[in-house]
Amino acid sequence: MKLRKSLAVAVAGAAAVGLTACAGGAAPTQNGGEGDADTVTFRSWSPIEQTTRQMIEAFEGENEGSSIDATIFNYPEYLVDLQSRASSNTMPDIVGLQPGALTQQYRDNLMPLQDCAAETWGDDWQDRFYPIGIEQSRMGNPEGDENFYSLPILTQTVNLWANSNIFDDAGLEVPKTWDDLKSVTEELSGGDAAPFLLPAKDSWLRNVVFLQIANNVSPGTVYEAEDGTIPWTDPAIVEAFSYWSKLFSDGIAQDGAIGLDAYPSAVNQFEAGNAAMIPLGAWWIQQSDPTKSDIPPLSEGMSGYEPFLFPTIPGGASESQFVGGIDVSLGISKNTANPDLACKVLTDFIAGSGAQKLVNTMNDVPAVTGLSPEEFTSEKQEEIWNLFVDEWLPQVQYSRYFESPKLDQAVADALAAIATGDATPEEAAASVQSVQDTLN
Amino acid sequence: MKILTRERLVGLAFLAPTLILFAVFVVYPIVYNVQASTLDWDGVNAGTFVGAGNYGELFQDPTFLITLRNSAFWIVLTIIPQALIGFLLAVALNQGLRGSTIYRAIFFIPAILSPVVVGIVWQRILDPFNGVLTSLGKAAGLEFLGGNYLTDPKTAIFAVIFVNVWMWTGFSMLFYLAGLQLIEPSLVEAARIDGANGFQTMVRITFPLLKTTTLSLVLLGIIGSLKTFELVYVLTQGGPNHASEMLPTFAFLEAFQLQNVGYASTISVVLLVIAVVSSLSMVRVFGAGFITGDEK
Repeated sequence: MKLRKSLAVAVAGAAAVGLTACAGGAAPTQNGGEGDADTVTFRSWSPIEQTTRQMIEAFEGENEGSSIDATIFNYPEYLVDLQSRASSNTMPDIVGLQPGALTQQYRDNLMPLQDCAAETWGDDWQDRFYPIGIEQSRMGNPEGDENFYSLPILTQTVNLWANSNIFDDAGLEVPKTWDDLKSVTEELSGGDAAPFLLPAKDSWLRNVVFLQIANNVSPGTVYEAEDGTIPWTDPAIVEAFSYWSKLFSDGIAQDGAIGLDAYPSAVNQFEAGNAAMIPLGAWWIQQSDPTKSDIPPLSEGMSGYEPFLFPTIPGGASESQFVGGIDVSLGISKNTANPDLACKVLTDFIAGSGAQKLVNTMNDVPAVTGLSPEEFTSEKQEEIWNLFVDEWLPQVQYSRYFESPKLDQAVADALAAIATGDATPEEAAASVQSVQDTLN
Repeated sequence: MKILTRERLVGLAFLAPTLILFAVFVVYPIVYNVQASTLDWDGVNAGTFVGAGNYGELFQDPTFLITLRNSAFWIVLTIIPQALIGFLLAVALNQGLRGSTIYRAIFFIPAILSPVVVGIVWQRILDPFNGVLTSLGKAAGLEFLGGNYLTDPKTAIFAVIFVNVWMWTGFSMLFYLAGLQLIEPSLVEAARIDGANGFQTMVRITFPLLKTTTLSLVLLGIIGSLKTFELVYVLTQGGPNHASEMLPTFAFLEAFQLQNVGYASTISVVLLVIAVVSSLSMVRVFGAGFITGDEK
């Protein structure tokens, strides 16, 4: 009995000790970052490991004595790592971020970057970036806070891709209007390939397709709903939900679309030639990475692909709208022991020799203008690259992200409910509004 | 008296390493979680105390109610078929079949595979667009094989449960096989001499003698069901529209995608309470003997 009591006391003591390091506090800020004088730590989910190594080699080659200790994760694991490190004061010197909610969550742990940018590139440094990258870098900042807590390294459009071989064989053009999309889908159905492969299992993909539809229905209206200026039940937004619904009810998307993930399932199918169209984004050009060998025939020099914008919607905008934004951005820990070296690495990765290595792999479109791969493997690949960097990216006006993760999830849930027949477009819009009401 | 105190101290000294590890790796996370569950907190910035507010919100959250329903489905529809099929396989392999070692290995392989690998493979098999079952169904005229099992909210959870049963039945089989090999052959022999046929021997002699194995599997099954994550995450991500959401996937979604660590901690605390109550109920009803191998 007494032993039991002793055990209870011991356990209670341990619990009390546990409480001394309690939950709910802000991350401590008194100590410096992890690195020593000549080393900075870098953690991210992007660029991929192999590319990051090349970028580091390029930087270290130009900066004798400096080193970068990098770890690359899968995105979900990275979120867990970043949160754990931020709350235990072991945040890396440089971190990968996404604009909006993720950057804002860590804002208090991040160093404003405009001075670093100005010292490196001059006072007109913002002109080097695509406008959407600059705009999104401060997405979600409190009113009056003009700091840049992260700077983009890669940007992108979200768009559709066609298998040009399938279109050529069928004598078809990529669809420009909704009616074209329907007729092309009908023409191509019944064959071995899915006419329109929609990997709608992923919430991010549901949302980017919806944002393309919504902006084609009524440019910019969805962001007015996001900031509470108009309700989500606005007719233009309900119509956008309706067109999302028609992807399923009109047989445009393949059977079981809501269960197909983009990576790896759908992209493998598309690259194997089993689909005529797929919604992805500018980053698909990475399939033709000139630094890689053993590239599937369709991806070799982008020979089998053609990018196009989501078709216009009847009664909506006369031209397809450009939707996109930052793929990945970088931030520097406020407590870094090496702010100068961290700044040097960050700016090198964005627009220096590290960035050149990154761009050579065509991982995505760079955040700054004027950077091109040193080698193209085909004229078509170069044409597609130039289309993105010269024509599409500068025109991107509408964000592929929502600011609030709760709203982002609510829209994704609403789209899933429509796809499975659990909700009508009106009910889906109302469900998003009910979440919006909790945010305002 | 002094000797008693000294003995007690020596005893405590022996227990100390375990107690310290228990405190650090079990007690501390629980206390931390319970405390976090009382906060509106994103896991990084300072949280706000909301008392039991998260609990009130959770019990009205329709997704939470779906996770409870799914956990109930999972416990019942995983444990019973898994135990039944595992038992039958074990009985079959215990008959001294030719090549039984190979069969044993084949049936057990899914249990040692990563759930991520299993998830990706089954996703390809069940893909209604051009998955293995769909192609097979088309070739054989069995169209139902190409159904939207993972993508229909009405069937998604059952499809995931089916894959889970496929994965873990070999584990149950191995447990039963070990149990069967401990049964005294004379007991079975005596039953046969008394006129029991094969079915009667299996139902009335063999299965009751494996009670401790069955109860251990039930306990492991309940705990495993409550903490299942990878398979659901890979196969459906808890969708479509949360239809196959389980408590751990829901907690992950809240903590790391919605930046709602306080709410996710509330889910974790509820999960812990359910697991503890279930386990203690088992021990209370059946006694602790099924864990130690002793009868109640």
